[in-house]
This record gives sequence, structure tokens and C-alpha cells, in this order.
Amino acid sequence: MRGSGAHLDMKNGKGDRMSDVIATLENVSYKYPRSQDFVLSNISLDICRGEFLGVIGPTGAGKTTFCLTLNGIVPQFYGGRFFGSIKVAGMDTLDHQISAMAGHVGEVFEDPETQLISTSVENEIAFALENLMIPREEILARIPQVLSAVRLEGTEKKHPAELSGGQKQRLAIAAALAVQPDILVLDEPTSQLDPVGSQEVFATVCELNRGLGMTIVMASHAAEEMAEYANRLILLSKGELISMGSADEIYSQIELLKENDLRPPQVASTFYSLSQKKVYLSKTPVRMSEGIEVLKEVRQKCEIHSQKSFDSTVSYSGSSVLSVKDLKHVYPDGTEALHGISMEIKEGEYVLIIGQNGAGKSTLVKHFLNLLKPTQGKVEVGGVSTEKLSVSQLARRIGYVAQNPDSQIFNATVQDEVSFALKNLGYEAEEVERRTNEALDSMGLMEMREKHPLSLPKGDRARVVIAAILAMEPEIIIFDEPTTGQDYRGARYILEISRKLHNMGKTVIVITHHLYLMPEYAERVLVMGKGTLLLDTSIRQAYHDIDLLRSTYLTPPQAVLLAHALSELEGQKLPAILTPEELASCFTCNGDGGSHGNA
Amino acid sequence: MATPIGKEREVKFLGGAAIDGAPVAYIVVLAAVVAALAFIPFSVVMATGGSFPMSQAIYSLVGWVLGPIAGAVASGIGTLIGVFLAPHTAGVAPTSVYAAVVASFAAGCMVVKGPRKNWWIIAAIIGVGSLLVFLGRAMFINGVSIAATFTGSFGQWLGILLYVLPTRTLFAKWISGASIPMLALGLFLGTWASFAVSHVAQSAITYWMFNWPEEVWVMLAGIVPVEYILRCLIGAVIGTGVIVGLRAIGVVKPTNATY
Repeated sequence: MRGSGAHLDMKNGKGDRMSDVIATLENVSYKYPRSQDFVLSNISLDICRGEFLGVIGPTGAGKTTFCLTLNGIVPQFYGGRFFGSIKVAGMDTLDHQISAMAGHVGEVFEDPETQLISTSVENEIAFALENLMIPREEILARIPQVLSAVRLEGTEKKHPAELSGGQKQRLAIAAALAVQPDILVLDEPTSQLDPVGSQEVFATVCELNRGLGMTIVMASHAAEEMAEYANRLILLSKGELISMGSADEIYSQIELLKENDLRPPQVASTFYSLSQKKVYLSKTPVRMSEGIEVLKEVRQKCEIHSQKSFDSTVSYSGSSVLSVKDLKHVYPDGTEALHGISMEIKEGEYVLIIGQNGAGKSTLVKHFLNLLKPTQGKVEVGGVSTEKLSVSQLARRIGYVAQNPDSQIFNATVQDEVSFALKNLGYEAEEVERRTNEALDSMGLMEMREKHPLSLPKGDRARVVIAAILAMEPEIIIFDEPTTGQDYRGARYILEISRKLHNMGKTVIVITHHLYLMPEYAERVLVMGKGTLLLDTSIRQAYHDIDLLRSTYLTPPQAVLLAHALSELEGQKLPAILTPEELASCFTCNGDGGSHGNA
Repeated sequence: MATPIGKEREVKFLGGAAIDGAPVAYIVVLAAVVAALAFIPFSVVMATGGSFPMSQAIYSLVGWVLGPIAGAVASGIGTLIGVFLAPHTAGVAPTSVYAAVVASFAAGCMVVKGPRKNWWIIAAIIGVGSLLVFLGRAMFINGVSIAATFTGSFGQWLGILLYVLPTRTLFAKWISGASIPMLALGLFLGTWASFAVSHVAQSAITYWMFNWPEEVWVMLAGIVPVEYILRCLIGAVIGTGVIVGLRAIGVVKPTNATY
């Protein structure tokens, strides 16, 4: 497949078609030195000046490799076998040094922490320019320009570590922009960020694209945002370019997305579910604003069951496994992180904790593990105050899966990793073997037991950490942002594990910003904001308290927002809907097919 | 997956950000590790005073990971930074930097085949020459007994012997092989051999400066082998984890790396 975005209406779109093309890929195939298969296979594509090209695909599809080919890092740095050609601004990426290509292609990667190396914001921006031997006066002139472009004015003297996640990623973008590239390539720039940071980055990139005409190539799993901002999407699968088109064209192909383990925007899923009920639509909307318009169309054709009810009760009669009473915590620098929190979690519950960064979620959880001591108040685990329990005693009762599984991996084989804690806690060899085998078996890691954990994909590495925790046979398992940095398939995989553990009778606590993933799993939600517990209720009630969620910078899933929009259109309260399927189930078609849709 | 229809291209590394095939980023990281380990005292230094830095245990590893030249650069820079930031382990600072460079170079030259298969001779000449100067001065100028000289320098001359004999290539083979136990053993013995080259290179100078008496040679007979065992154990433990990890994550291998 070959494609060009030249037909799109773009800023600065002067001249003929070819003069608009900034990058051309001709039959590009690539294989890493140690890989068995080609990571990219026969990709042909034109990228036009001023376009926002979205790159989507499941993990392993070749998105990162695709991004790295554009400035020659692949293959010049990695080696391997390369077929075909890539020209950016007329320069063949295999015939020019990476440093020369860096003047035309700016790259921003997934984790802002790994990209910032200087001791101040202005030094960070100057770093690449100094290496490219740009004159000092020019560097000094560019710094305020790019800081203004990413809205980081006034932070020149700050250490990058003082910035928030979103600000760090915007600084990385500013550093890339300072080189004045023709193309800005962003590889999953928001996957490690909280909703606020993610919004900041998308807003910045959108402004650069629409305001300044910057060509953007962005790989991302953020379907709702990609639908909103990208001019054109390419879908990669196993290294092949299998589909290309506008966001409307790609995201309305729900079956294709499902086949490739991709998540469509919930608006598209909702109307796809409706089309499955023979509700014919003029189009499958992929953006919220269009969704509301099509919703009006659907109301004309279908009957709405406003009395339909969904279970929203949360009742657990088990004993209390975690209890917090009037918990306050003040950090040594005087920051008051928690202000008198009280709550109780019962045995066998599945609890979701949500809130913006800095809301106090991690501080709260660290008290469960005795990693922090209460400044005031009390924390009890299984009826025993944490003051009387050591960290190692708590580690036997509470398993903690950190956001980044790699930070918990340090052994050379999967088996050693899973058995490490057991050996250190002095269990007998037979017991260690039994528990290790059980944990490996339950996580489907038996065949990988001799492999190095870091040689596994990220989703599997998370499973290794979970297996190591399971081997301890804890009563409570805490997942801290388990879906961050995972694609849809990886995220669902980990959450399915959490469901399995819940079904085994474990108490599960999940902290996440990805609200759209949780309706199938969580029963109870604790909403935190600025160190206080804002809400403690069922997931249905919590997700529909939209104003409260927004007050802590959380955006409910689009299905919830559509349900609210429908309520407003109908002038009556509808059931507390959580998913596209539930929303679709509220409609019954009158039999009027209307215009035939594209679903 | 489809067969490539594009023309295969010759892949060259055109970027300047590498030294002898090792990306500068790797060199910086390993130099930083060397500098950090310089803060940790590892053993007391007889005769000249002070203490050895733990970074000595990874000089050889740096050579195997980066190659002889890039490894020498990384260890040299790391140690140079270390002598300023951690003077308590610096010893005679210029000789410490020199020893770090020689150790990584000697380790990086321990290759089985390829265009650099004879580079080890340079390291061997440094090692053997320094050993002759070191021991010769003790016996023929300072009058230290032969027994004290040879027992006091047991660790060094054993290492030099392991380096000049075919054991050198055997260790390199183990380090580049798939077996993890043999990798660990190769790292242990390889560290002994390559560090001994740098140790005698350094000792030849410091002995010329301090001329320690026979009593110290006698003391060294008991201490040096223990130090070597500990140094090599640390190198093997760190090295095994690092090399197994590097292989597992498939990070780009420097052109002249041994692992």
C-alpha cells in the first residue's frame, strides 16, 4: 500500500503535490540484527508538509521502528538489514549522518525522564544546538521562541526535575523544536503521563501543527485524541502497513481494529454497537462532537429505554482487611499530602483509586505498606496497626505491583525472580519450589522460566512481577498504574489477571488514570483530590459524577459523556451507563433503517 | 511476512557519536559507573596508604563491554573524575588513571579472532615489562629476598601468566559463550588476568616512588591474593548480571565488545 496525505487541506499548502511531500518511504523493510522477522515490511508512504500523521498499531507492530527510521537511527545505530529508501527533505537517511538528519527530524520519545539530561530548562534546549555548532546568539534567540511555543515561559532557570510530567514532555518537544526540524516525530509521548499532562502535550502538538504548520508524525494508543487531531492515520500490523486513511475512515473500521487488538474511540464503539442492532447511521462518528449530532439522528429512529437498570450496588460483608482512620501525612518539606482520610476496604473487594497526580494516591498506598508513617491517624492491616508490623511482615500480606515492572526486576531468570523473595524470607526449598511453580503456572510463565525477564515484552514482564508477588500468597494486591505504557491488549491482559486474582478471593486495589478500562473490573471507586477523599462509592455513581471527576482533572469515558448528552436531549435521567455496549442496549430500533451506514 | 521488494542497502554507522564502534552514550554511562564505584573503598593499600576503590573490579568488564579503546576511555574518564570526587580511594592519582586505562585495554584485547587478535601482545608487553621492572627493582636494587618478592607479588605474576598463556583466549571464549556459569568463571579469571596487567603497570611506578621494605612484601603475600579473589568475585557478580542483561534486552552491541 502506498499513500500520500497531499490531498488533505493543510496549512502552508503551497505549490504542486510533490513540493508538499517532506518525506518519502519507498518499499522500506527492516530487520534488527537479532530479530527473526522483519519489523517493517515493504512500507511505501509519502508524508506531506504540514500534516499530522498518526501511527497506530498493537505492540510489536513496528511503530517505534517506523519513527526511528525517519532520522536514520534505524538502521545506522542499530545495524541490521535494510531494504528500500527513505528520503526526508530530499536527504536519504542511509547516506547522511544521524546528526545531519537531526536537523530535519526532531524526535520525542515515550518517557520524558529518559530524554532530559541537563541541569536547567534552557540548557536542555541549548544542548542539541550546541552540538550542531549553532552560534551562541542564535541559541539565545531560539530558547524563548520554543519555550513560548510549548507554553513553558518563565521556567528557563528551573531544573527539569522540578517540572511536572506534562511539562517535562513539553520541554522534550521544545528541545526538538529548537533545531527547527521539518518533521516532529513523537513516539507514544503521552503514554507515561497523567490526564493533565496528556492534555497539555496534545494541546501543544495540535497548536504546533495547526498554528505553525509543523509536520507531525505521532505514534499513540490514545484513540480519542488521535481521532480529534490527526489528519491521517496509518495502521501498522506485524510491520506491514495494512490500512491508511482519515481518522473517520480508520476508526470506523471497528472489526479491523479489533482484529489488531486496537481500541477505537468509545464514540465509534457506541455507534458500532448500535449498527449491530440494525440501526442504520449516515456515518460512524469518531469524535465526541459528531457523536452527539449522530445521537440526535438515532433518537429519531429508535426508542430509548430510560427505565433500563444496571447493577450499581456495592455490598461486602467480609471482614475489614485495610482500614484508615483520620490519616494525615506531612512530608519533611512541609507538603501536606493527606488531610484526615478515613476509609475501610473489606476482604475480597475490587477497589479503584483515581485522582490527578498529587492527589495523594501513592502516599495513601505507601501507608498500607509501611513505607510511610502517618503524621496523624491510624492505618490497620487485618485489624493490626501498621506501627506494629514491619515492612517485611506487610510484604507477606500485601503485594505491590509498581507502575514500571522493570524497577522490580533484577534477577537473571524468570524463575529466580519469582522465587527471590521466598528464599530471602527463609522458606524451605520445597516450599519455595511449590509456590514458585504455582505462581509461574497461574501466570502462564512456565515455558519462559529460564528466560531473562528483560528479554520479555513489557506485558510479560508485568506478569513476572505479579507472579513474584503471587508466590508470597498475599491477601491484598495493589496495582499502581498497571496499564501505563501498555497497549490495549497489554492493559486488558493485566486487568484480566487482576480479575482472576479477585475471583481467587484476593482483595484487589488498582490505581489508574485509564477510566475507560475499568468498568468491567472495579466495583468500588475512591476518588481522591488534593489529599482528601472526595468520593467513595460504586463505579457507576462515581463515573457519573462528572463535575467532581473534572474537578480532579479526570475525564469520564466517552460512553458516560454520551449518556449524559442523551439525558440532556431526552430531558430525563437515564441509567448510569458505563460502556458503549450498555448505551447501545438502551436503544430499540423502530424498524426505520434510514440511510444505509458504513458499519 | 512478505519478502522485501526494495533493494537491500549497505548499513553503515555514519554518526560521529561513537569511539571505536562504541556509542558515546555507553562510554558516558560506564564512566559514570566507574566514577560512582570510586566512592566505595574496597581494601586498604599497604605501603602507599589509602584504600582501593571498588571500581577496580569493573575496569575489565568495561573493556569487555566497550572494546579495548572505548573501554580504556570510559575507565580512564571515570577514574579521573573519581580521583577528584573521591580522593580517599584515589591513591597516587595519575597511576590510578593509568591503571584503569591499562586494565580495560588489556581486557578488551582478550579476543579469540578477528583483526585485533594480536593486540593482546601490546598489553602483554606492558604487563611483562612492568613486572620485570617491579620485581627487578625489588630484588636487585632494594635487596628484597626472592621468596618475599615472589610470594608478595603472587597475585600479579599469576595474572600475567594467565594473560600471556592461551588461558587468555579461553576466558574470552567463556565470556562470549552462552553458558552463564562459564561466563561467570570467565569473568572471574579474566578479571584476574587483565587486572594483573594494570596492577603491575601501576606497581612498577608506585614501587619506584615508595620502595617499600621486605616486611611489607611479606604482608602482601597474605593480602594480595585475598584482594584479587574479592576483586574478581565482585567483577564476576556485577559482570554476569550486566552481560546477561545486555544480551537479554538486545541493546546495540559495540563493534569491538567481547560479550
